[in-house]
Amino acid sequence: MSQTDCRHKWMMANVRDGYLVTEGCYHCLNRISFFSGEPVPPVESYHEGDHFWNYLGSAQASKFDLRCGACGTQVPLKELMALMLCVGCDPTCGVYKVGHSDRERRTWVYVALCADTSHASGACVPDEGVRALNAYYQGESGDPQRITVVPCRLRRSVDSCQGIVLADTGLTELY
Amino acid sequence: MTTSALIERLGLKTFNEQGDKEIRGVYISDMVSDIIGIKEGNLLVTLQTHKNLIAAANLVDVAAVVYARGKVPPDDVVALANRAKIRLLGYDQDTWTLAKSLFELGVR
Repeated sequence: MSQTDCRHKWMMANVRDGYLVTEGCYHCLNRISFFSGEPVPPVESYHEGDHFWNYLGSAQASKFDLRCGACGTQVPLKELMALMLCVGCDPTCGVYKVGHSDRERRTWVYVALCADTSHASGACVPDEGVRALNAYYQGESGDPQRITVVPCRLRRSVDSCQGIVLADTGLTELY
Repeated sequence: MTTSALIERLGLKTFNEQGDKEIRGVYISDMVSDIIGIKEGNLLVTLQTHKNLIAAANLVDVAAVVYARGKVPPDDVVALANRAKIRLLGYDQDTWTLAKSLFELGVR
């Protein structure tokens, strides 16, 4: 079967465990994130051009790609740092509008978070990756009414966003 | 087996009331980053009562969440589960004892 004819059946591939690390620059106040596969996440501050990046926090997380079990097509998700559930905190936010566009049914919107948290560079998770994530999480029914994944460039503000990031925070509260 | 039948057979606590669902499998994990890769319809057994777990459980459309070892979810977690129509259940004994009971009931 050719890749263009395939009705892809996505599955996770290249699953890596590590840490989602967030840093902030004291000068421009932008924030960035990256995935670290180190046993302990790096916390050192460092200069990068005009930026002075400082560690803000980290949480255990997984990175993965998606691969079609039928034709073998692989979608690398190297820009994806984590997924986040929109809790509908801001009606002026682009993510909120996606979730509330259908008044009859409430769609759960998950935001694909990229490394450029403040979007200073304008880069985000590519459309191909967002399409594959939607196909994967909407399952066999392909029902966009229940789950929709959108890129984080739709988010109005990283500072006021109250979304729930799907990373392992609070594990130390287990016992 | 359905979630209602399981509640009855194992005497599980219920932290909220939601519709009945068919259980297609069982997954045991306390890590959100692990749960986001499971198939829909699983009974999720965990110790983790953090809100993040409900956000992940909703993404993968679990049949229900069972908190083992007497763990009790906070009110805001129950509220989010209600919005997501996820049934939250409780089991007083440890995860291994629950796993054995599920296996003996044919929930695999």
